[in-house]
Amino acid sequence: MISCIEIALKNELRDADASSLIKKADSYFGIHIEHARSVNMVTIESDLTLKQIEQVKDEIFTNPVTQVSSLEPLDIDFDWCIWVGFRPGVKDNPGATAMEAIKDFSGKTFGPQEGIYTSKRYCLKGAALVREDVEKIASELLSNSIIQQFKVFSAEEWDKKTGANVKPARVILDHVPCFEVISIDSDAQLAAISDQRNLALNPKDIPVIREYFLDAKVLASRKEKGLEKPTDVELEYISQARSDHCNHNTFQGIFRYTDASTNETVIEDNLFKTYIKEPTLKLKDKKDWVVSVLWDNAGVGTFDDENNYVVTGETHNSPSNMEAYGGAITGIVGVYRDPLGTGLGSKLFMGSFGFCVGDVNYKGALKPPLHPRRLLDGVIEGVKDGGNKSGVPTTFGQTLFNPGYMGKSLVFVTALGIMPNQVKGKPSHEKKTSPGELIIMSGGRVGKDGIHGVTASSESYSENTPAGHVQIGDPYTQKKMHDFLLICRDEGLIPFITDNGGGGLSSSVGESAMISNGCEVWLDKVPLKYEGLDMWEIWISESQERMTIAVKPENLDRFMELSAEHEVESTVIGKYTDTGKLHIKYKDETCAYVDMDLLDKGFPSWEFDALWLPPDMRGLTEPVISTPLDFNSLLLSMMERPNICSKEWILRQYDHEVQGGSVIKPLVGVKHNIPSDASVTRPVLSSSRGLAFSQSLLPWYSKIDAYHMMTCSIDEAVRRLISVGGDFNHIGGLDNFCWPNIQFDEKKNPDGKFKAAQLVRACRALKETCESYEIPLLSGKDSMYVDGHLEGAYGERMKISALETVQISATSVIKDVLKCVSMEPKISGDLVYVLGSTANELGASEYYEMFHRTGLNVPHVDFEASKKLYQAVQAAIENELVASCHAVARGGLGVHLSYMLMAGQLGLEIDLPALALNERNGSLTDEKILFSESSGRFIITVARENKAAFEALFKGMPCGCSGKVTDQHDHLKISGMNKDLRVDLSVKQVEAAFNKAFGDKI
Amino acid sequence: MKKVNALVLTGFGLNCDTETAFVFERAGAVAHRVHINALVSGKVKLADFQILAFGGGFSWGDDHGAGVIQALKLKNHIGKDLLEFVADKKLIIGICNGFQALVNLGLLPGLDGDYTKRSVSVTYNDCGNFRDQWVHLAANSQSPCVFTQGIKTADFPVRHGEGKFISDPAILERLEKNNQVVFQYADKKGQLAKGEFPLNPNGSVNDIAGICDPTGRVFGLMPHPEAYNHVTNHPDWTREAQKQKRAGRLVDPEQTIGIQLFKNAVDYINHSLF
Repeated sequence: MISCIEIALKNELRDADASSLIKKADSYFGIHIEHARSVNMVTIESDLTLKQIEQVKDEIFTNPVTQVSSLEPLDIDFDWCIWVGFRPGVKDNPGATAMEAIKDFSGKTFGPQEGIYTSKRYCLKGAALVREDVEKIASELLSNSIIQQFKVFSAEEWDKKTGANVKPARVILDHVPCFEVISIDSDAQLAAISDQRNLALNPKDIPVIREYFLDAKVLASRKEKGLEKPTDVELEYISQARSDHCNHNTFQGIFRYTDASTNETVIEDNLFKTYIKEPTLKLKDKKDWVVSVLWDNAGVGTFDDENNYVVTGETHNSPSNMEAYGGAITGIVGVYRDPLGTGLGSKLFMGSFGFCVGDVNYKGALKPPLHPRRLLDGVIEGVKDGGNKSGVPTTFGQTLFNPGYMGKSLVFVTALGIMPNQVKGKPSHEKKTSPGELIIMSGGRVGKDGIHGVTASSESYSENTPAGHVQIGDPYTQKKMHDFLLICRDEGLIPFITDNGGGGLSSSVGESAMISNGCEVWLDKVPLKYEGLDMWEIWISESQERMTIAVKPENLDRFMELSAEHEVESTVIGKYTDTGKLHIKYKDETCAYVDMDLLDKGFPSWEFDALWLPPDMRGLTEPVISTPLDFNSLLLSMMERPNICSKEWILRQYDHEVQGGSVIKPLVGVKHNIPSDASVTRPVLSSSRGLAFSQSLLPWYSKIDAYHMMTCSIDEAVRRLISVGGDFNHIGGLDNFCWPNIQFDEKKNPDGKFKAAQLVRACRALKETCESYEIPLLSGKDSMYVDGHLEGAYGERMKISALETVQISATSVIKDVLKCVSMEPKISGDLVYVLGSTANELGASEYYEMFHRTGLNVPHVDFEASKKLYQAVQAAIENELVASCHAVARGGLGVHLSYMLMAGQLGLEIDLPALALNERNGSLTDEKILFSESSGRFIITVARENKAAFEALFKGMPCGCSGKVTDQHDHLKISGMNKDLRVDLSVKQVEAAFNKAFGDKI
Repeated sequence: MKKVNALVLTGFGLNCDTETAFVFERAGAVAHRVHINALVSGKVKLADFQILAFGGGFSWGDDHGAGVIQALKLKNHIGKDLLEFVADKKLIIGICNGFQALVNLGLLPGLDGDYTKRSVSVTYNDCGNFRDQWVHLAANSQSPCVFTQGIKTADFPVRHGEGKFISDPAILERLEKNNQVVFQYADKKGQLAKGEFPLNPNGSVNDIAGICDPTGRVFGLMPHPEAYNHVTNHPDWTREAQKQKRAGRLVDPEQTIGIQLFKNAVDYINHSLF
């Protein structure tokens, strides 16, 4: 029987969901809805009797205090009604919990022909509303055709008996699972099959693959298992493993780098090895706090004598670009499996986000899959649900706008975990699989979702990109699994654990079986969401919320007992062997049988031509802009800019203090509304230690030179940590590269060589900075195809590439959190110091960008001077000489003094002549001093009685006592080089500008 | 001396169990994090504990109303045990999702000794979104609530999308008359928020942030006292610490209203049940 329960809030109660719809329709499209109500719908297909359904309706789905419900359509007046539901096969989280609730309530188990599907309808009133408006609201606000469907009803079209007439969104495949044998008679034939099947095989890999399968010894051994030519399961396995996403072919490739100014060419063989791996391994030897790097799902560092912390970061760009909510929630829930799958498993204790999107007010002709405004709404909500429902605080995050991200937006998600350094007397960061151990899959089930996700993310977005890889993460299922697996870890039941992310079982089992040197997998045992999946689909599906775990047979009963208690599904799907073979069976029939070392069979490196044109050769010059006359208006305009102004509404939606360890929050200051330099968290509540975390994104500098983009990004992340009390001797780094396509193609990618050179330069800078600051890279990832081909006004498609972007995350351990410092000036009479020198470095600055200019003078990092300064700041904080500390970043001193003014709600009087200036790029006028983005600078306030002690620490360093904090007024007063009062703005004026763009958002 | 045993529920998407257990320990109790299914199966007996904490989180994803399925499951399987627990004059605290579960179970407001009736609700915030923010609370000094004895004002964070307390006027009047309203949203000075956002972050009627049953032994609130387990949790702590330091005073990191609230509960058990 199919029943549909309709549930709505009682009429007199505010319907927040409907109110938000009214607001958005008005502000986004200028469509006026007078009144709206929302109705939740639960469609049940089952053998429950009407009486049981009535009971379920009242007991589970209806709150007698707030809601009304009915098995008939609720009689709510409307001019138009929009119904929105999921397409079949899309993860319906409320549908799943509803089945769980009914099972617990009535003992009813849902069979394969049964299910619960949730949907929603909105009843809209508005005299002026026409069908076109309503369809716009339905398609551009309430649904995304990739995952949802909608219906629009006018009042006349509505049948009060049948209502929205919702059919169960059950997946019916009607397909007998099979595997296919593929002919590989020629390279051309295999290339054609690769295209047809979306395998994205690199042309250079094709002969290697053929050579393997045509090898006489291989053929003979395969024959024993009834195989000859490769099967689709095998080719899919190779395709996954060789994808750029899994194998990092770009970073391991060969670059012929030519510098056009000297015409010299050097060969860069394997950027990863040269610029990331080798320096990190050297630093690992030097820094005893580095526990485990470069091989596991995340890096591991020492937190205290008993615990290690774990850190990693990911991007989830391609899916978020098409279905923002689904992509982002899948991204954050996905990255949270990495620490859980690191070592023997760690407990998640914090996460962070980075969003890079196009102009939210874009009104041009290009049509991105989702308008930047809608995309941002969706990714914010995705990270909100994913993070909050995981019970992991989101303690830090940045949002950045640039037109280049309209081609493909970026969604960075970062995860940190904590684990005891020993489990049952053994180091927790070590893990291995051994022959005889069982392969267990825990968590979610496998469906068609996410198939070819890794190969799709290894491509630019085009109209042909398959949508099937968009999923919706399920933090609830994962949280249950997380809690369960940590108990198993503590009982010593887990010798090996890893997550199922990109590539699904193909990657997790394929890679973990390398350790034992073989496996046998029984695909027919893998629990499915619905019947009818082919073997290759089961093998590579990226269905979420799954971990792969090795368990010794003698521990299986206990493992399964705990699994049942936590209501987590766990299934034995094979065993690890030492046969040297990856052996996949389906009901006793072999569908894959290849050598474990197949992937080492001499697959050729990718090759790139890189051509570096220095900025002056590209014609970049400094812009000619005279000193403005009205500094007050100028500074207010800077404060209004999207990349400077308040984004409080985003951070407020994120639970940033669950788990009870919050020390420095993402928003600080008297009004708790100014973004903090870094966050500090106590992951171990009984300890006074804290984990400081910061991130930085400075893609604009790539317009001039990605080398300096990289040095400045790392420098900023480090300075942010130092500002809150971080330890310069313990800084862990994390690099997340997001780069446009670097493969040169005369027609499709004419500037590919330049972008390749930018990548080489960024990597060189990464090594140089990390070596200089002694930062081991605990983890890192790359996402290489940040381009989009967007349709324009005339049906043309234009390629939009993002700026070469790297998000740098940094970690540090603080011994005593009571010594942490926040950025707001605290006490009237304190002195204001600006540390570090300011030079004429406004190239690609926010100031020049306001005038649509770029310039040439990108900030340079002076590693030696900075190092000395940072250690002195650390000493000053440890000696409790610092009342507040803030790192100067995007926008320069003018912007960052304004942040401090608002944070402290106290007046600031600043004299520019007292600043340490560096005239290596020429002399500095007031606006250049105020808006230069020179690296290495802090603004610090100090009690007068600490003046001498403080200054003594900075002898010989650029340290200007440039003003004071006062409660005599609440203005920012800045005197220029000629001692004239250049800026005089009240905190109210600055706040109004700061909150202008997004201040009304909640 | 006998030790007070506190049970903190875990599982099914609950997520504040570690810090809730931590504050109970700091308050002098022995805290046990127990999976809901361990109570359901009978492996762990509720009767062995003196304090029961329904903590924060997203039980069952909050998919069909916050705390709804959790309440239903507990009612179905251990409903009787819960009522006995109340009758035995033991203590129950529900925080955030736990408060939502308590009102859905009917353990709150517990009018007329009926601990099964759903008569109030905690529903979607007026602001339309999940919100993490610290709030100022004014405590009702007349309230019988065991947990807030001696507490006049408190600052705790709220972190919820469904925290708006509502009830019909008749019930509201009784709650106020019985002094069952324990905490109300207020300004810095302790003056009631009068519905003003963001002082009152969710639009709760009469600024209600927490209520108790008529005996004061069952207590539910939206703000998170367990999240104030260390001075550094407070958003103003760096400023406050700087002022204290200049006045020559030392800061005790574990002297917080959050821990005090749990200590009240442990002291009560020590005095009244042991």
